[in-house]
Amino acid sequence: MKVTKVFSVPLFKQSLRANRVLLIACTVVLCLMTVVTTYAGNLIAGTESTDYTDAQTDFYSHLYVLAAYNEMAGTELSYEDFSTTDDQSMYETIFEMMSAQSEDLDLSVEKFAESAELLSESDIGLDVYIENFEYVYALGATEGVFTGNTLDVSTMMTNMFEMMGMSSDLLTTMTEMDTSAMLNQMYFTIMCLLPIILFIIFAGNALVVDQVDKGSMACILSTPTKRSAVVITQMVYMIITPLVMVGCGLIVRLLATRAFTGEVDVVKFLALYGGIYLLAEAMASICYLASCVFNLSKNALALGGGLNVWFFLCSLLGMFGSDTMVSMGMGAEMLGVFNNLTIVGLFDVDALGTVGSGAVDYAFVPKLIALVCIAIVCYAIGAVRFQKKDLPL
Amino acid sequence: MPVISVDHLTKDYGHGRGVFDVSIQVKKGECYGFLGPNGAGKTTTIRHLMGFSKPQEGKTSISGKDSWEHSAELKNTVGYLPGEVTLPQGLSGTDFLKMMEGMRHTKNDDYLKMLLDKFDLDPDISIKRMSLGVKRKLAVVTAFMHDPDILILDEPTSGLDPVMQETFIDFVKEEKERGKTIFLSSHIFHEVDASCDRIAIIRDGKIASEFKSDELKASHDRIYRVTFRDEQSYLSFIEKPFRFTSKNHGKLRARVQIESNRVGELTGCLGDYNVADFVEIPFTLEDYFMSFYDTGHHFEGVSR
Repeated sequence: MKVTKVFSVPLFKQSLRANRVLLIACTVVLCLMTVVTTYAGNLIAGTESTDYTDAQTDFYSHLYVLAAYNEMAGTELSYEDFSTTDDQSMYETIFEMMSAQSEDLDLSVEKFAESAELLSESDIGLDVYIENFEYVYALGATEGVFTGNTLDVSTMMTNMFEMMGMSSDLLTTMTEMDTSAMLNQMYFTIMCLLPIILFIIFAGNALVVDQVDKGSMACILSTPTKRSAVVITQMVYMIITPLVMVGCGLIVRLLATRAFTGEVDVVKFLALYGGIYLLAEAMASICYLASCVFNLSKNALALGGGLNVWFFLCSLLGMFGSDTMVSMGMGAEMLGVFNNLTIVGLFDVDALGTVGSGAVDYAFVPKLIALVCIAIVCYAIGAVRFQKKDLPL
Repeated sequence: MPVISVDHLTKDYGHGRGVFDVSIQVKKGECYGFLGPNGAGKTTTIRHLMGFSKPQEGKTSISGKDSWEHSAELKNTVGYLPGEVTLPQGLSGTDFLKMMEGMRHTKNDDYLKMLLDKFDLDPDISIKRMSLGVKRKLAVVTAFMHDPDILILDEPTSGLDPVMQETFIDFVKEEKERGKTIFLSSHIFHEVDASCDRIAIIRDGKIASEFKSDELKASHDRIYRVTFRDEQSYLSFIEKPFRFTSKNHGKLRARVQIESNRVGELTGCLGDYNVADFVEIPFTLEDYFMSFYDTGHHFEGVSR
């Protein structure tokens, strides 16, 4: 007379089989998103890290000399000519001559070619740099007729943006915008979270309430399997599968980061993915609770699925109310209210991102504890309720 | 001690639905039929026996153990065939049988093979592609695969073709001979009539009648159909103090229901008339059953 009281292996296998397509699909989407985001993040970081200012200064010095010489001698020297001509001796003489005249200048054919090559590696085309130089040269060092201030290209640009209604503060924030941090926030609260939420909603529904609603739970309960074994087995499923998904995401992230940048901050990613796992568990526990409490699939979906979709949408809206977005002029402060209406806000990407760095922001700790508490309470209520209720089988 | 006992079970689902003060006792080796139309409370009673629902009042027990408290433990000896068969998704029949074997902690390949042969079932296809009948057969096999001592069958033959229905009823009879205790609910008279020792009729959640099926056949009213050659005979016959269950002027035909000890009275009387035809209508459970619903009650879902 054997009775299964705690964990049923055949039932667990059945749960794995029944939801395997969903699990694989969601995990694949999550991993693809991870690779794409890592690549995009790497691109952003790449453009930010390389500084082209020195190369630009060098390049412009050479161009200035050429332009000045053209005016003096009536020649038609240019970078285009320089790069295509076979005979660079002319340029060599000019650069040597100029370098000899001034101690500040250190011009040479090699430096000219080198700076041009560096600039061409940047996202901006070399011809744009040349055109920009033409404006700079044309304006020269002119003074404003009324103010007497120096008029140069950059102040002109700022002025033009102001005429178009864009504040100069905005320009500053835009140039200083931390796009990689934003991308990280978006990755964890949208691209990574969405496949997990979808899986949780559908799997949570299929594990308990759907089987009660359709009646196949009768097969399970007509065997010597206690209801406690049913709820614990399905709970274990709900605890393990998001861990597998998040684990796959983490591994892909680590590998992709290593592949793209060559170095990985393992501790930071462990913290971030650990955080999203706890968030996923809090959400899963809500679906599980709904699944255990209701007898009709549609009711459980309405509560569990509805609540989680609400959380997700709130976090989207809330993102537009966050300080970063508002200061960038891309959000509205009042949308910040939504950050308080979602448990996604308890997953503090910014604070978790500091783990492993010198200055760790421990603001994430109480938030993660809150997520764990939600998970424990919902799982417990769901499990107890299912054992006590009447089943319409 | 009764093997299956339902003791003053009450469960009110509201709107007059549910079961009210139902008491049933099934002895060991007995086959008990539970007859009633859809929605009368058959499945509700079985739900309590299976431990899916907790009684509001009263209690249900199997082998002396409370069927709610000891639900899981009792399943070792109980085979259950649900009225509406739904099997888990994404499995093949073979996988499902393996899963059920695993969950029952039993493995008896010979017995399983015997059942599969008996019900002519090839489980090696995906459950999704099985027809309703095949799914039912699979459910029948899973209910019996651990060779349980107690069988709880909820409308077992619905969805089976007539040949399979015969096979199934024969199988139930064999099981009864092997000493199994059987509780069988149905709205189909045929299967209850054929296999059950005792029968209860449930109506609107209350037991309307309980009787032994032999008794019913032995000592009950007889029904005769009399056809006359001329209208005069017909008209004067229907004035006689018999109980007429139907009269048909056009065909000059009448049905008389009469207690078995008064049959002589009827035959004696018939000598005075010009009788064309005299037939006894065999009394069936259906007639008995119908008598509970004759009184203008809306009658639905009962079919032969």
